[in-house]
Amino acid sequence: MKTVMRIVLAVALVTALAAATMAQAQERGVSATEVIIGTSQPLSGGAAFWGVPVTGGMEAWIRLINEQGGIHGRRLRLVALDDSYLPPRAVVNVRELVDRVGIFALVGLLGSANAFAVRDFVVENQVLWINPLADANMWAGFRGKRSLFVSYVSYVDEGRILTEYAAKNMGVKTVAVFYQNDLFGQKGLLGVKRGAAAAKIKVVAAVPYELTDREFSAQAVKLRESGADAVVLYANPTAGALVVRGMRQIGYAPKLISTSALADPAMFALAGDAWNGVTLAAYFPLPGTDARVDETLATIVRINPALARQPFNAVGGIAFLEPFLEGLRRAGPNLTRASFITAMETLRNWDGNVARGITFGPDRRQGINKLYLVRSENGRYVRLTPDITYPVAF
Amino acid sequence: MALLAQYVIGGLAAGGLYALVALGIVLLYRTSRILNFAHGDLATFGTFIAFSLLVTYHSPFAIASAGALLITGVIGAAFYFLILRPARDASLLGKIVITLGFALLLQGTSTLLWGTDTKVLPFPLSDVRVYRLGGLVVSQISIGSFLIGLVLMGLVYVLVQRTKVGLAMRAVSQNLVAAQALGIPAKSIFALTWGLASALGATAGILLAPVALLDPSMMLDPFLKGFSAAVLGGIDSPPGAVAGGLLLGVIEAVFAGYVSVRFKTTLAFLIIIAVLIVRPEGMLGREYKRRV
Repeated sequence: MKTVMRIVLAVALVTALAAATMAQAQERGVSATEVIIGTSQPLSGGAAFWGVPVTGGMEAWIRLINEQGGIHGRRLRLVALDDSYLPPRAVVNVRELVDRVGIFALVGLLGSANAFAVRDFVVENQVLWINPLADANMWAGFRGKRSLFVSYVSYVDEGRILTEYAAKNMGVKTVAVFYQNDLFGQKGLLGVKRGAAAAKIKVVAAVPYELTDREFSAQAVKLRESGADAVVLYANPTAGALVVRGMRQIGYAPKLISTSALADPAMFALAGDAWNGVTLAAYFPLPGTDARVDETLATIVRINPALARQPFNAVGGIAFLEPFLEGLRRAGPNLTRASFITAMETLRNWDGNVARGITFGPDRRQGINKLYLVRSENGRYVRLTPDITYPVAF
Repeated sequence: MALLAQYVIGGLAAGGLYALVALGIVLLYRTSRILNFAHGDLATFGTFIAFSLLVTYHSPFAIASAGALLITGVIGAAFYFLILRPARDASLLGKIVITLGFALLLQGTSTLLWGTDTKVLPFPLSDVRVYRLGGLVVSQISIGSFLIGLVLMGLVYVLVQRTKVGLAMRAVSQNLVAAQALGIPAKSIFALTWGLASALGATAGILLAPVALLDPSMMLDPFLKGFSAAVLGGIDSPPGAVAGGLLLGVIEAVFAGYVSVRFKTTLAFLIIIAVLIVRPEGMLGREYKRRV
């Protein structure tokens, strides 16, 4: 009898082990020693200013974690593909990452239009997607978000808050908007319009540009002709710097207000003196204002010295990656999609090295709903306000 | 009226740079009948070389610029001799694809060597110092760049139209075999043309970088505009390239000011289509006929 019992127990044990191993083996992108994650970024073209340091920051941080033994014994492998900020290429990249590379999760993916282009595919295939670097507002009302976790800013809320602040605290009665003619700029413009309506001030001009443009004299003249008290920038760093310099050249010096996307200290070099006195949004501590962020930056710069040239975007890459890493830690050694999602849902006002105040839950996928404002002064950013919260939309 | 004049001034400043780009494209096309789609990226590469000489090696601006133009010219000539000439039997489309490949190679190399972050090229003229004429404002750098561009265009015109070298360029372009039979050193003429056109592109890049900021994709838009200007003015006419560049710059600025800033970028392509339908040889170009 004892022998029979032993055989039954042994068979049960082997079956259980085999089942566990099969379940593990079936989890896409996860092995006993490795977790594969993917991202699509503009590593060339007009938005490479953002994409290269963001990806560089992510890669450096992952290298550091791997050198420390990985997470629960698994090393991380990041597969980063270049989409040149073009939505069709982002779609191809994400299909490649999901169908051929077999990633466990998509982390990042920069650009509102790109994220919009791939979101149906990602959701239909139930791919884990942590932090699309795109206007968070696009997810409000979108169904099938179980595998999605967003701790990126909402440009609509950002634009609204910036405009309301300008009306209440800067004496602004009229605003003009200089915006990139894609989903990023259009969402910012929408936010400014909502803020102006709420604060009962006027949007007197909305002047677009295309990402490939290099000459902004006509836009500068149009902004000047609007006579706006303030100009709000929803632009990439090159266009933002050039139009600010262009306005100054023709003797137009409005109050300047800007999206968080231009918070890189590199703007002081690109725009020169014209970048003094700009009011900007921020949603994590900027380099030079927080000891922990500065220490993190110093660490990744030791790994990749080129990141020192774009510190904001480099630490941004870490801020976008950190919630995912925390999810991996909390999910434990038995990593599955389900265990990861459950783990992510336990984040409550969680602080990383760069990311701050991240909260998710079973019914909450918008990880942050706050920002604060800074002012550029003599080559550094000075905090203007405490955190300003906006409603959680999803 | 002052507003219109301000748009025209901005348009002329941009148009002067389009003209320099167009001139390089036209010079190459006239001589070798090749549309060089690497022209913009070669210009960017040359500008990065100037940047390195200025910032890393602290060379004076004149030496850095001259060095960059020389190196870019050599690279342009080397591209012709090492890659395009061995593929001389390829179709026109094949040659265009080769230039596109070279453009990608240059862009990748620029990214690898200098990174993708935007850089400020130190320049002896200021974009903050401005001159006011009534209600008009024009910056020192715009005036300087425009004048430098005009002088260079004049020199190229004299070279092409008034010298034996220019005559040889035209001869090689019209009938290579006959030109060689007459003792014209065709290889040297091709080398000179590719070198000169590449250096012209780099000049446009160096003049553009202070006002457009330097990164690996800096010349993408100016190259497309320069190409449009060349088609508008006449793809085989140096004076046409200059006129086309200036005209395109002004039309674009006035269109953006009074019609639609949203479609400013599209306008250049509409102009190409319109010109190709109405007058395929361009404003000052001549209909291309080969004697048989």
